[in-house]
Amino acid sequence: MSLARTAAGRRWALAAVVAVAAGTLLTGCAGGSGNSSSSESSDSVNYALPANFTPNWILPIGTAAHLNTNNISIAATLWEPLVAYDGSTGTIGWNKAASIASAADFAPDGKSVTITLGNRLWSDGTPITSRDVEFWFDLIKANKAQWANYNAGKAPDNWTGFKTIDAQHFTITFDKAYNPQWMLANELSMITPLPQHAWDRTSASAPVSDADRTPAGAQQVWNYLNTAAKNISAYATDPLWKTVSGPYTIDTYSTSGKVVLTANPKYDGGEKAGIKTVNLLPFTTTSAEENALRAGQVDYGYIDSTDLDQQSSFTNLGYTVKPWTGWAITYMPYNFNNPTMGPVFKQLYARQAIQTSIDQDSLAKVVFNGTAVPGYGPIPQAQSSDFLSPVQKSNPYPFSTTKAKALLAAHGWTEQNGIMVCTDPGSSATQCGAGVAQGTKFQMQVLSQSGSTVTDNMMSAIQSSLAESGIGLSIKTAPVNSVLSQTPQCTSGQSICTWQLSFFGTAGSWYFPAFPTGDSLFQSQGGSNFGSYSNPALDKLITASTTSNSTQAVQDYSAAAADDLPVIWLPEPDYQISVIRNGLGGFAQDSLADFHPAQWKWTK
Amino acid sequence: MTSLLYLTRRVLQAVAVILVVTVVVFCLLHALPGGPARGILGPQATAQQIAEFNRAQGLDRPLPVQYLYYLRTLLHGDLGTSYTLNEPVSQLIAQRLPKTLVLTVLSAVVGLVIAVPLGMWQAVRRNKPVDYAVTALSFVAYATPVYFLGIILVLVFSQILPWFPPQAPQGDTVAQVLSDPAGLVLPVTAGAASMIAVFSRYMRAATLENLSEDYVRTARAGGTRQHAILWRHVFRNSLTPVIAMLGYYVPVLFGGALVVEQLFNYPGMGLLFWSAAQSSDYPVLLGCVLVISVATVVGTLLADIVQRIVDPRVKAGRS
Repeated sequence: MSLARTAAGRRWALAAVVAVAAGTLLTGCAGGSGNSSSSESSDSVNYALPANFTPNWILPIGTAAHLNTNNISIAATLWEPLVAYDGSTGTIGWNKAASIASAADFAPDGKSVTITLGNRLWSDGTPITSRDVEFWFDLIKANKAQWANYNAGKAPDNWTGFKTIDAQHFTITFDKAYNPQWMLANELSMITPLPQHAWDRTSASAPVSDADRTPAGAQQVWNYLNTAAKNISAYATDPLWKTVSGPYTIDTYSTSGKVVLTANPKYDGGEKAGIKTVNLLPFTTTSAEENALRAGQVDYGYIDSTDLDQQSSFTNLGYTVKPWTGWAITYMPYNFNNPTMGPVFKQLYARQAIQTSIDQDSLAKVVFNGTAVPGYGPIPQAQSSDFLSPVQKSNPYPFSTTKAKALLAAHGWTEQNGIMVCTDPGSSATQCGAGVAQGTKFQMQVLSQSGSTVTDNMMSAIQSSLAESGIGLSIKTAPVNSVLSQTPQCTSGQSICTWQLSFFGTAGSWYFPAFPTGDSLFQSQGGSNFGSYSNPALDKLITASTTSNSTQAVQDYSAAAADDLPVIWLPEPDYQISVIRNGLGGFAQDSLADFHPAQWKWTK
Repeated sequence: MTSLLYLTRRVLQAVAVILVVTVVVFCLLHALPGGPARGILGPQATAQQIAEFNRAQGLDRPLPVQYLYYLRTLLHGDLGTSYTLNEPVSQLIAQRLPKTLVLTVLSAVVGLVIAVPLGMWQAVRRNKPVDYAVTALSFVAYATPVYFLGIILVLVFSQILPWFPPQAPQGDTVAQVLSDPAGLVLPVTAGAASMIAVFSRYMRAATLENLSEDYVRTARAGGTRQHAILWRHVFRNSLTPVIAMLGYYVPVLFGGALVVEQLFNYPGMGLLFWSAAQSSDYPVLLGCVLVISVATVVGTLLADIVQRIVDPRVKAGRS
């Protein structure tokens, strides 16, 4: 077969050109508007939301599935909290400029607090009064089981009464005396005054009333508000969401994740919007976000810690790379009820051997590229605070595999084929300990969060150093949600109780509210005490930390938990490695992991 | 067998297949240890909140009851509500599917528009240097993971040569997506590359086979011009295997869309499915599986029907 080279060749060439042209037309190769800069005007800013997060809730009350920290940040720009107790000013404390309350006076006996409201107005001109706080209080009391922040025994259970003094003063009484700082930082900060005059209705067609003042009515109002909040498409248009107290209102709220906030012209608080329009941009992956940064489409974004070596490429593009430290700790819970390893984990010397085998300094420096700090106990160490005890600060268990090995050998363990084996069972001081059977191998398994190179590298490094001490570690990985699902609190007879160690802390295991107590984490009945750790002495110290007026109580708890090792302490990674366009300033990165767009300003 | 009877039989088969798929996926999902509550609610959720979640989602009921309930709601057109995205699954799919379809259909069309003439051209130029060169390029394109190709495209055409944006269009609707054609260039190119590689090979092989057929020799002996032989006779007959493959290619296109969507920040069905799998969002997972199953079954069905139209021999064979 042959083709006439000239005519046929031209036809083929024509066909090819047509094909390419068609493809080009179909894909709309119309212009190269690739690198449009984001902040062409000082009236707007583009903020990158965390990868794979889609904002989906603005109501400042709701169930646990809805109240993601980023949703809370967005909601707080619309409805200011009663007490903004956060790290937005650079240190953790009460930011009165962003609060509805102007004063909180605790009774001398510590059993009540009287709050004074600032002289503020809702965006529709109605004054913000005690009735708006009472409205929130009634809704939460009547619907506490569904409320995201509910923890049995804590607010609202420990709030025994709400008494209105006048439009700007009210008193909340407690069931006993509490540490005022704890009460302010961890409980009163959860209150958000809500526009009672606009929201207190049982359905869209019902008139505004005092429905919240009966439990049944409050449940109907709750259902109405929560149902309305599920209609994301209406966030920008539903009049319900137009009565705000914060510095911004919703301009657009796309179901695909993009949110545009626009300054509230009626805002009369202390934290007026510095930039008129805030674009909150969703990203599928960190790589996609980094590409957008490089193209200049983002003003405030982030990079992976593994990309820190490319820092100069971002600074050359006019950005500043700025780590955002979190008020968090990172750890690996032991399952004390695991049928095989639980008895071993219950031995303090065994936990000491494990902790001593972990070289946190090297992990922080090498694996985390300097974007983490070693953590030796239950108080975050990335920031200095009065809560940190000298014991925790000084690292009670410095890295030494020799010491770890000696510790195990001194308690009846013998190394066999590189793994320590219990050869001297029994409960005397030189034996393996109660419940540890002869022949038990010191071989552990961790179910670790997948999807992060840094975590994978950290686990490998821990595995190597534990091996030097004669402790085996096998690593299984799963998505973080799966890790959390598969490593619950359990009893030894349950089939789910086969997990030994769990890791879900790639971005930090536990973010604290402002006052870092351990009631959920390490108290015997704590809801997030996954490994069922139990130590009556520590329980007492934790309780004391919430009731005592002295920070010494928290330090005592810090020292005891650092000593007793309820979990394996690990380096605390930064919340985010931020990349911020030069000229965007006027703010501190809140270590409570919230963002506060009203503080952002273009400085040049 | 009449066309109607054939079609009815195929549709019934399709329904049965989809039903089996939902049973298998439903059972597999619920076989996962621990359940989704802790993962969805996070480490700080209390036992009461977890119990409340399980009650609200019906996860505290026996598995067969849960499945029957799921089927009942499905028959009412309700795919459930996403645990994490807080929206009805049908609404999420309605938002995301058109975006994915824009991407996949454009990739498929671009891929075919290039692959079909390219394959024919290679067949005509069989064993010539250009044929070898295109074959080599096809193998390279086929062997290159979409993710890697996408990164290269972004690096070259967005960062080194700032011609195109690194992100796909960010609009919510098809109209908004299509109004930003420059944003579609890189994702569509990444999506079309492997299709060009695969389908040009099919087209080349099919064209070569047809060119050696008696009817071509007869036409040529009768003085028919090569161009006419190719486009009037060989082209149509060579399309048969390509059309057959297109139906089976639907899940591959969806799979490719997942990667392209991740890379180019384009939240479509692929990403919805991936995120749901990561977060144990059962209703979304089931909804996505259902849609992809339907798309695959419909794709193969359409391919069969088009094949019957294009190639009468298929109809005769099945009769």
